[in-house]
Amino acid sequence: MLLVVTYSRRARETLRNVCRSHEETVVRRFGRAALLRETEYGAFLACRLRERHAGDVQVERTEPFNEFADAPDSVREAAVDYAQRDSPHTPYGRFAAGTDHPDADDMRGSEL
Amino acid sequence: MSDTPAVLLRLPDGTTFEGPVVDLRGVDADIPSAAIRDAIRTGCPTRPDRPTVHAPLPTRVHRHVCRLTPGVSVDRHAALAAVGAARGVDTPHCTDLAGVKQSLREVSVPTVDDADLRAARRRAAEAGSTTERLRERVATLRGRVEARRGDGTESRDDALAEAEASLSEATRELSEASTERVAATQRLAALEDRARQARDTREERLRLEDRAENLRRARRGARADAVESAFHDARGRIESALDGLPGGLDDGVTADDVLRDALAIAAIAPLRAPVVVDPDVATALGGPDATADRLDAPLVIG
Repeated sequence: MLLVVTYSRRARETLRNVCRSHEETVVRRFGRAALLRETEYGAFLACRLRERHAGDVQVERTEPFNEFADAPDSVREAAVDYAQRDSPHTPYGRFAAGTDHPDADDMRGSEL
Repeated sequence: MSDTPAVLLRLPDGTTFEGPVVDLRGVDADIPSAAIRDAIRTGCPTRPDRPTVHAPLPTRVHRHVCRLTPGVSVDRHAALAAVGAARGVDTPHCTDLAGVKQSLREVSVPTVDDADLRAARRRAAEAGSTTERLRERVATLRGRVEARRGDGTESRDDALAEAEASLSEATRELSEASTERVAATQRLAALEDRARQARDTREERLRLEDRAENLRRARRGARADAVESAFHDARGRIESALDGLPGGLDDGVTADDVLRDALAIAAIAPLRAPVVVDPDVATALGGPDATADRLDAPLVIG
């Protein structure tokens, strides 16, 4: 999908109008951002917004996140184990200490 | 009337009128009251074919009640907020707003040239498709060289040499294209990184702009509230003045609620620039001088 985020009042207003008039192409709206369908028309709308508001519009192309392909096993497994932890109030740092699970700061510093 | 400033009105034919109250009834000139209103709003100089008004400059209230005539339309809330502003009503939002405006002035969005970014996107896209095209060509030529090597005919040597030459040329082009692709990708990544950083500032600016707008709205509300009771008192006085006079407005024209609102707003606003009052309205309020007293403002009757 195409993620469009606006950074000025006028760009936000244009996006709002675009969303109102092209509901078929808008997948989701979030305040000053919207997800557009990945069709040529979605691209047309994104190009129009970029043309009109330049740097006040950010356009990203999104794709589904596959945790088996896009994240290391250690990261995925840490998340699964942490979600299933016995004590809900344990912060991740304490949970991971002394285990094989990756350190939070290490993960922060590592690009996918 | 308390020290009402004088008005000097000059018509296109050179006729001038002076006084706190300029009465254009019976004046042999076809001057639409909208033209007078525009002259009050614009001040001097005006075009030679238009009337000119020499008077103090209008305040924001004039946007709402510059011309008092039946059928006028007034956004009461906005007009009362303007009256509050003209009366110097101070609200807690004023200080906050000044702070936000100051912060907005200090926000400077790092400059990322949109044309540069666009050029970088185009260059990266072209480098990508060129590389792909050459990669396919190299694969095809490599297949052709393999086929020629396996070919047992007499023309084998020439054909093989030709195929090998094409392959080597294509391989060289691919290598150049790959280098260009890396450079283009790096350039784009660097510019996008700068654009990303600039977005944090843009986001902050947008937040401040929204905050400023909310504060302006709150300030308008507070200013309108502050003069609300004065407005109701004035509205009551206008009401009884109009109702106390026999006949009210002539010729079936009625002083509708909006006009009554507008008159009350004009009455409580500190007006130094003149307002244009419809002759029937002035008559209904007891004549030009009585109207000027009620509104405490210089008038043009016309």
